[in-house]
Amino acid sequence: MHKKVLSEIDLHYGTIDMPKGFEIDRDKLKSDILSSQIKNSKFPYSRNWDMLNTYMREHINVEHGFTLINKETWGNVYKPKEVSIPLLNIDPVDLRNSPDYTFLYGVNVKDCSVRIHYDQNRRAGRSWDIPLENNGFIMFPSTQMYYITNNQTDSLNFILTTTYEFI
Amino acid sequence: MAHFAKIGMNGKVIGVLTFGNGDMLNADGVEDESVGQQYLERHNNWPAPMWIQTSYNTRNNTHSSGDNSKALRGNYAGIGYEWDEDNNIFWPKKPYASWVKNTTTASWDSPIGDAPALTAEQESQNTAGTHKWYYVWNEAGQSWDVRDEKA
Repeated sequence: MHKKVLSEIDLHYGTIDMPKGFEIDRDKLKSDILSSQIKNSKFPYSRNWDMLNTYMREHINVEHGFTLINKETWGNVYKPKEVSIPLLNIDPVDLRNSPDYTFLYGVNVKDCSVRIHYDQNRRAGRSWDIPLENNGFIMFPSTQMYYITNNQTDSLNFILTTTYEFI
Repeated sequence: MAHFAKIGMNGKVIGVLTFGNGDMLNADGVEDESVGQQYLERHNNWPAPMWIQTSYNTRNNTHSSGDNSKALRGNYAGIGYEWDEDNNIFWPKKPYASWVKNTTTASWDSPIGDAPALTAEQESQNTAGTHKWYYVWNEAGQSWDVRDEKA
């Protein structure tokens, strides 16, 4: 008896484990998120963003054998007790130009969780909750809808999102 | 060209970069690995000691020029290779769980050694094209099994 998986919803998560002295400066990313939100401008390229992006692309390649290509990057700020609108990073009528993966990075977060919705054959409408921590990441297929929740009452949550294609 | 492997936190090679030899010359104009490491740290935001020079022309501890004194660190590093600091060798992925490191040839050996040679009859059948005999490792039986691709 044989089995072949034709499609899968792969969820990658963990922390960005950089060498000592080369850690991601999350304060810099936080200020970049704020500045891009205030100016309503694109998230700026920076050394820290490049380190984060390079880390993900290289480690996904080594561990899972596929190459990620950047599509877009932006930052979001979530207020205390805020629940995001349903988020979906593909355009259902333009799948050709849509990304394959959504990568979320905890820049400065406290009691933050991500709910990813998925279908399992006829069992539709299932969801999976996963906490997002400081310097932690979650990556999943962009075809999955998700929500971000700030569960606490006293601070803002800063999250960086990058979308990728894979080859 | 100089080739350097980028080593991840778990000792695996996560990338290999190439740059001009002129960027790794010391004050005396001599190629120096530590100069190359500093150059890569400066331009790639990854610590100098985690860049290890590797030789494009080295495979299984032999150098393609025939002069094995030029062989460097066992094998040309590839993504996913393991950096073995103790033996100063880049190891490819272990092919079978039972295989062991041969630090002389910088390659993995089966626990019972190399596959036996084909018999004269098998060789002649291979030459004639009537069969295509070869040995394949049987991990469950810990043996070399002979197979005929044309069977």
